[in-house]
Amino acid sequence: MTIAEPLPQPSNPVGIDGIEFIEFATAQPQALGAVLEKIGFHAVARHRSREVMLYRQGTMNLIVNSHGVSEATPQLKAIALRVRDAGQAWAHALSMGAWEIPTRASAMELNIPGIHGVGDSLLYFVDRTRDFSIYDVDFVYDSNTNRKPPALAGLHYFGVVQSIYGDRTRDWVDFYRHLFGFSVLPEGEYFGVLPKGTLLESPCHKFYLQLIEPPPGSEEIHWEEQLVRIGLGAPDVPAATQALKARGVVFVDRGPVQPSEKGALTQVYLGGVTFELVVSHLQG
Amino acid sequence: MNLAHFGMDTITLAGPLEAKLDAMRAAGFTQVMLNANDLAGHPGGPAAATETVRKSGLRVTGFQVLRDFEGLSGHLHAYKVDIAKAMLDMCHALGSRVLLCCSSTSSHATADPELLKKDLQKLAMLAVPYGIRIAYEALSWGRHVNEYTQAWDLVAEADRANLGLAIDSFHILATGTSTERLGEVVAGKIVLVQLADFMWREIRSREERIDTARHFRVFPGEGVHSAEVAKLVRTLDDLGYRGDYSFEVFNDDYTQLPHAVVAERARRSVKWLTDQVSRRSLPLRGAAR
Repeated sequence: MTIAEPLPQPSNPVGIDGIEFIEFATAQPQALGAVLEKIGFHAVARHRSREVMLYRQGTMNLIVNSHGVSEATPQLKAIALRVRDAGQAWAHALSMGAWEIPTRASAMELNIPGIHGVGDSLLYFVDRTRDFSIYDVDFVYDSNTNRKPPALAGLHYFGVVQSIYGDRTRDWVDFYRHLFGFSVLPEGEYFGVLPKGTLLESPCHKFYLQLIEPPPGSEEIHWEEQLVRIGLGAPDVPAATQALKARGVVFVDRGPVQPSEKGALTQVYLGGVTFELVVSHLQG
Repeated sequence: MNLAHFGMDTITLAGPLEAKLDAMRAAGFTQVMLNANDLAGHPGGPAAATETVRKSGLRVTGFQVLRDFEGLSGHLHAYKVDIAKAMLDMCHALGSRVLLCCSSTSSHATADPELLKKDLQKLAMLAVPYGIRIAYEALSWGRHVNEYTQAWDLVAEADRANLGLAIDSFHILATGTSTERLGEVVAGKIVLVQLADFMWREIRSREERIDTARHFRVFPGEGVHSAEVAKLVRTLDDLGYRGDYSFEVFNDDYTQLPHAVVAERARRSVKWLTDQVSRRSLPLRGAAR
């Protein structure tokens, strides 16, 4: 017999329901596109007015933005959160002390509300996810391509890794906890092969954010506050690793991060892009 | 505790920013507390002022001052949020990790501690992306918060990692607040300590308090509350506070004296203070235990 404990439910003030898309910015969209295709993504649509491409696999939407971007090395620029009501989520965040971003929509395009995140990254709020999506308005689909390509080896968004300066974990925990209701996983509870930092679970239990302070003795390392890496969940990491290797993805195969049943880490592509595989109980 | 823990405040000296920073450095100081006017009033503009500070090699203790932020509503609140954001932008550009926020003096501000707390939480949130800590200070003529004990209650209730307390000896002396409750304050939640004394024992009215604060402060060791200032610094040191001390000395005489003369008085004050703190660590002769 079990006794139901009166555990407090973590609140979900803006009704987060997973990641709608993740956005890279780069002046080398084709080079990044080639990497993404190795990882199993397919280019499915192009933005109506800007140099922006939509890639997909399974449940994952990934945007490559090269509109006015001069930096060649791709950078993780935005996370779009699926929320109950984008306008309400945005208003809530501003009322709590988030910084608003100027709208960038052109005529007849959707204005996706957002706030400033870490470094120069953004957090968007999207609520059009059912009947017609934001992509239906702003993007033109390639008619020769499957709009909903299946995921390779069950890959899905598991989370995003964020580097932060030393002694900043509590600041960023406050940020995600109080704006959105993220909760900190107990120390020692990790996924994957990179067990470090602080893990925050989304209030919808569908993805994680990992905060990483600079390791001790790393004064010489160039370290910035930014989004650094996407974590891809896979039900079976060795199978996913095999499938990706067959497509030419190279994994770090030495030291503590070599591929295992728990996870794997790809090599660094284009001077700054890596993907981490994490064994995942989450549904793709 | 040594000279490296202390800094001067630009408001103590007259004249151009460059000359102020030179004088501080010449006196051996390694940090400086900056005022928004140092940037806004710089003939070359804020960017030139920022560059001047960077070139001086002086570390920025903090940036002041956001006034009358908490407790407002409607358009007044929205206006103050805009001001706070502009000051955070400046603070960040300057490389300062601390923004000083003084308790509100506004007659439009509410006394409701829940709303005051919410506003401080919002300010702290605004400061997170920049990595700036908010130092909340009880101004002795603050409308609803005028003693550090009240400021501490709010800071503790607000419970945000980057929100802490600024302790200013002048305001504690001016209101005659006991330092007893400093024992409750978590050392890590003290962001900044500002030190100054003044020359008379009694301040009878709010107006006199403001007047004294703005024109007649002196460096620690120069005023009539030396014992209290020394005790305050010892108490903070005992609490485990290892952060910065800044001389918040508004004094009309000092703004018409050569910088070197004033900076030398500041340096002497450091010597006096460090002597006061190190002296108590020697065993008391004839002490009972």
